[in-house]
Amino acid sequence: MKDRESSQSRSGKPAGSPSRLGRVLEPAKMAAPVVGSARCLCLLGPGVRRTLRALPGLTQVRWSRYDANYKEPQLDKDYYLKPLEELTEEEKFERDLRTTQIFKAPPASKTSSLFEDPVISKFTNMMMKGGNKILARSLMIETLETLKRKQFKKYHEAKAEERETIECNPYTIFHQALQNCQPILGLVSILKGGRFYQVPAPLTDRRRQFLAMKWMIQECREKKPRRMLMPEKLSHELLEAFHNQGPVVKRKHDLHKMAEANRAFAHYRWW
Amino acid sequence: MMLRKVIRLISKSHKYDVLVYTSFCHTVFQFSRSFCQMLHSGCFLHVGTKASQSIAVSLDTQVLGEKCRTISRTQENDPANHREHHLCQHYSIPLEEMKTIFPHGLPPRFGMQVKTFNEACLMVREPALELLHYLRSTNFANPAIRYVIYGEKGTGKTLTLCHAVHFCAKQNWLIMHVPDAHCWVKNCRDLLQSTYNKERYDQPLKASTWLKNFKTSNERFLNQIKIQQKYIWNKRESIEEGRPLGEVVEQGLNRVKNASDAVGIVMKELKRQSSLGSFRLLVAVDSVNALWGRTTLKKEDKSLVAPEELTLVHNVKKMVTSDWHGGAIVVSLSQTGSLFKPRAAYLPQDLLGKLTRKKGKRSCFFLVTQIPGN
Repeated sequence: MKDRESSQSRSGKPAGSPSRLGRVLEPAKMAAPVVGSARCLCLLGPGVRRTLRALPGLTQVRWSRYDANYKEPQLDKDYYLKPLEELTEEEKFERDLRTTQIFKAPPASKTSSLFEDPVISKFTNMMMKGGNKILARSLMIETLETLKRKQFKKYHEAKAEERETIECNPYTIFHQALQNCQPILGLVSILKGGRFYQVPAPLTDRRRQFLAMKWMIQECREKKPRRMLMPEKLSHELLEAFHNQGPVVKRKHDLHKMAEANRAFAHYRWW
Repeated sequence: MMLRKVIRLISKSHKYDVLVYTSFCHTVFQFSRSFCQMLHSGCFLHVGTKASQSIAVSLDTQVLGEKCRTISRTQENDPANHREHHLCQHYSIPLEEMKTIFPHGLPPRFGMQVKTFNEACLMVREPALELLHYLRSTNFANPAIRYVIYGEKGTGKTLTLCHAVHFCAKQNWLIMHVPDAHCWVKNCRDLLQSTYNKERYDQPLKASTWLKNFKTSNERFLNQIKIQQKYIWNKRESIEEGRPLGEVVEQGLNRVKNASDAVGIVMKELKRQSSLGSFRLLVAVDSVNALWGRTTLKKEDKSLVAPEELTLVHNVKKMVTSDWHGGAIVVSLSQTGSLFKPRAAYLPQDLLGKLTRKKGKRSCFFLVTQIPGN
């Protein structure tokens, strides 16, 4: 016990630490269920242990090998390409501090490549089944290729005036299509007086993005003809969503209509 | 990396076989060219994620792209004039010619690229140049030399064949192009017993597609060539001597049951008459190893069909032998789409198998020796 205390006192509190509850959640990156068990206390990192000692009866169950001292890696090349003269005092201080800090290893899917797109990576992960990332990635690439070929075909067949309106970049089509599918309001089930009411509530950006991608993938999987391949169907749906038509955008409009219909229950929301 | 030479194999007993090796040729000079080509295609690459770099990168690639386009393209669109200084440059085939010369025969991905970009550009490469040199200097009095193009996957065998076909089409040869012999030995739903020979099997649909494409590419010859024998289709229909070949093709297209026999007649007549000198014949067969391999087709009693028992295969095998003169035979091997062959097999010995010389009037043999690896 004494050794653990001394080791904990040696590792100083990092500057600007959030609340105690935040320290507990930080290593696991999510709201980890916490269980009252003295045995698990020993396996945790020193920073976490100190926090949990303050909250008796609570131990983290899902945890990460990384301590609170490990910082997130900086994968953005722009950060490092900035010449030294342009840095402010704060940024210079931060750079010097980074030389002494320990960093987590970045996941294999994150690169500092020019072609990396977080939205595309997220979509690929959501399309993945059973951990088959190779298949999901190849489907994504084929979808983008099909989009490009379809747009090229339209471009060649169009007259000179219409050619400028045709968007040939598959990435812009993808981003715009997902933007068009994102709902503004969502419905939340709230229990009041023994009954569950569907209450319209604002959604966070992440939830909106997730819903748009989920609906797109669901639509393509369920309504696809048997012999049609996923890239073909996905590219078709993305093009329709890009033009604000199609079943996914219709689903978003339906959700908005439901939220509008239930606006009387808006007062049940307390956040 | 050293420039990989094209390998020629001509030996005493087998004068009529020439093997052409396509490989992924790289010299420093060529690498810079191919790098330029990659950058040129980089004009279409996505640079939208890192906004700070996007403008600078797109301007750079545009300027470089313009330069690269002039380096890697040539204005010489006639394969007859392609020489060493055209190496590694792309020449374009006009789309109207594409429809007549290549109704079938292009690899499917290349066909997709042609449709997307509205242009067909082939790169001039050393194996193709050597092949064209041989074709240009053929002696039509000698028996037809059989050129075999082999190489690993993705090295350009089919496109080299297409380059040769384009050259011969421009020189007004009669082209008999079998796009993919693998298609004829697998995935056939309609196998009919042949009326001409009870032991053989017909493939009406495949034969009629081939006849349609043959007609598109050789329209002008069909009226000039006259058949030299009477053919009886059935009790009511027959074709007299002296009728143009176009009528045989029409009969094959109208009566799908007789299509395979029509193909056989066309091949027989062309072989006989090419020696007369009124036209020159090019027999181009892609994936020729299918003719000597195994099939996945089954007879009604569930026993496997041998390739010799298929009419189409039997007729093409007769064409591919070197016992006629007045033209050339260009043939390529292919593991993609082959049946019961391992993925790494690319040498003629692996794909064609060891063939012994058959004693008899018609013997078909290939030169099979070990080519030293790189």
